[in-house]
Order: sequence, then structure tokens, then C-alpha cells
Amino acid sequence: MPVRLLALIPVAVAISLALSAAVDAVALPLFLDTTGTILATTLAGPAVGVAVGVLTSAVNTLRNPTFWPFVVVQIIVALYAGLAARAGLFRSLRTAVPAGLGLGVIASLTSTPISYFVFGCTTTGGIALTTALGKALGLPPLGACFVGSFVSDFGDKAVTFALVAAVLHGLPRRTAARFPLALRAMGAT
Amino acid sequence: MSALHPFSLLAIAAALPAFAWILPAPGGGLATALVALGLTLTPGATPGSRGAGSTPGWRPGFATLRIALVTAAPFWLFLRLLHDGPSTVAIGLRITTMVASCVWLVAVLSPDRLVEAMVARGWSLAIAYLFAATLSAVPVLKARARRIVEAQRCRGLSPRGSVANRLRALRALALPLVLSAVHEVDERTLALETRGLGMGVRRTPLAAPLDRAAERVARWILLLLCLAALIRRLA
Repeated sequence: MPVRLLALIPVAVAISLALSAAVDAVALPLFLDTTGTILATTLAGPAVGVAVGVLTSAVNTLRNPTFWPFVVVQIIVALYAGLAARAGLFRSLRTAVPAGLGLGVIASLTSTPISYFVFGCTTTGGIALTTALGKALGLPPLGACFVGSFVSDFGDKAVTFALVAAVLHGLPRRTAARFPLALRAMGAT
Repeated sequence: MSALHPFSLLAIAAALPAFAWILPAPGGGLATALVALGLTLTPGATPGSRGAGSTPGWRPGFATLRIALVTAAPFWLFLRLLHDGPSTVAIGLRITTMVASCVWLVAVLSPDRLVEAMVARGWSLAIAYLFAATLSAVPVLKARARRIVEAQRCRGLSPRGSVANRLRALRALALPLVLSAVHEVDERTLALETRGLGMGVRRTPLAAPLDRAAERVARWILLLLCLAALIRRLA
């Protein structure tokens, strides 16, 4: 692996974990914990994105052990972001946001079985309460769990995609050109 | 416990949750949860017993146990909200095992020793770098994120109001952080190339942790026991 991509991985992981401070400041129900994974994928391809996702889950696990089973979601996110980058969907917010909404559906479909079978839908307070609401509305347990995951993932991934698109367009062209996939993800090639 | 080889600590922390899920509930989960909670009381797993990290109201030896219990408690609450009694106990004990094992591992495992053990075992220096650099980069970037939040507030940024207003504020907080971090990649690349990381040479560990034969055998026994329990459960 080229040294530049190796240097990118720890930085991308740290981005995913440090953004929680910005989210806390604006008090929005977002995680943004896949920002580094998506950014690394758009800059350097899905293999680097998968490495960032796995490492993000591992480091997050040291803080909260329930993160580790969701490493699968990080891998799916990296693969999806790789396809979106190759299709040039980060060229503008108009294309990035719908792509992020699509990822929100896929991520919630992936995380629902993990959340249901491993944690009984109790991964966070918000998901537990949304699941309880779904049950109260008469949904089956798995359906109620999906509602909880969907509510937390849908908007989060759209905002994350929009943020990554803004970052790519905020990078100087010379810096972006040093990474193998960045210009293609921005639709510049 | 902290004197054990890092791979042994990792093996124990991985085996306990595996047993908790494989063995029949609630007996299996209860046994593994008790073992995991017991580990948090072992010597070396007491970060709060020294200086600034000490926890008022708890005896120093109970600091790690307290972290494990406080982390696991909300799950019991949410489980009770969503499930019947037996399911709550079964899933709750498994989650408690997972939480306690991980909290114990964080308390006893030194990242430096883990990197040295990986290098000594012949793992690529690049992989060892990824672990060490990530663990050191996270607090640095978190501190920078807090500084950016304070700086933008000083400039009059209001992170309250409508959702659109908050999203605009989020952009003003997140973009400087992410862009500065991406620019930092250049400096890190130069530093790594200067140190010869791209040449594929093998590094000599300075203080490789001692890996006793008994520990290696114990790790294999743990793995075989997990597999045996899984086969028995599926049969």
C-alpha cells in the first residue's frame, strides 16, 4: 500500500470519532461516525475505506463494546461509497444527498438484524425508544427494530454524504489530485 | 493480569463474549458475566486506583467494575422496556459479559505492548503503525474539534434554532476540522517516508513482551473450547 494511503487511514478514523464534538455542539440526532470511512473511500478507493471502517469500529469498541458487531455496516458503507465515487455522485449536493439517502436504507437494513439478534434493539436509547414506539403501533418486533435503525441512519447518511461532497470540493485541486479516486468522485475527470 | 502477553489478554476478552452467546441461557451468560466482572477486580485492572483517575465514593479496586456496571446498566433498562423477563435476563447477561470483558481489556492492555508484540510476531510495521497512529490521532483531533467549536462560537456562530440553521452551523464546524486533517496527511506521509516505512524493512522490537509456552497453549485451548461449545450447541 502506498505510504500516502497508509497515512490517510488513522487520520480518517480520527475524523469519524472527532466529529462527535461538532454534532454535540449543534444538538442534532446524528452520528457522522462513517464520515472518515466514506471520505477515505472517495479519496483512495473501497479497500482503504474498508480498512478505515474496521479500524473505526475497533477503536470505538474500546469506548463502547457494542460497536464491534456493527463493523459489517462500516464495510457495507465503504463498498457503497466506492460505487458512488466511481459513478461521480459526489459532484454536487444534488447527487450526493439522494445517494446518501440510499445508503441510509441499506445501512438500516444491514444494522437491523445485528441490533435485533445481538442486542435486542437496545444499542442506543433513541433506537430503543423508537423501537418501543413501533411496537406500540403494532409492528412485529423485527419491523419495529427496523423503524428504530431507519430513523437513526436515514438522515445521518444523507448529511454525511453531503459533508464529504463539501470536503472534496473544498480541497485544493492539487491536494485532491494526490489521491487516486478523488477527482473521479467529484466528477472532474 | 496485565503481565500476561497482549495476545492472551485479547484471547480472554474475545472468548468470554463468544462463550456467552454460545452456551445456553441463562446459565452460560450468568457464568461468563460473573467471570468477566470478576476480571475487572483483578490486580492491574484498576486504573482509578492511581492518582487523577480515582473515583470518589468507590474503593479504588472497584473503579473498573463501576465503569462496566455503569456502561451495561442502560441496556438492562432498554431490554426491560422491549422484552419479557427471560429474554431480558438472557440478552442482558450476554451484553454485560461483552461490556465487562471490553472494559477489563482496555484497563489491562497497553497499546504500546500490543504494538511491540505484533512487531515481534512478524506482523508488518504498517499494521502496527495503523494501531499506534490511530490511538494517538483520535485525542489530537478531538481536541482540535473542541477548539474549532469554541473559535466559531467566538466569531458569532449560533448552533441553535431551526434544523437548517443547525446544519449550516454543523458545516461551519465540521469542514475546517476535516480539511485540516486531510492536509495533515501530507506531513504524515513525508514523516513516514523519511523513516523508511515504504521500504518494506522489518523493524526490531525494543522490548517484546514475553510469550510463555503455557500462555500459547492456553490460547489454543480457549479456541478449541469455543469451537467445541459451538459444535455441541449446533448439534
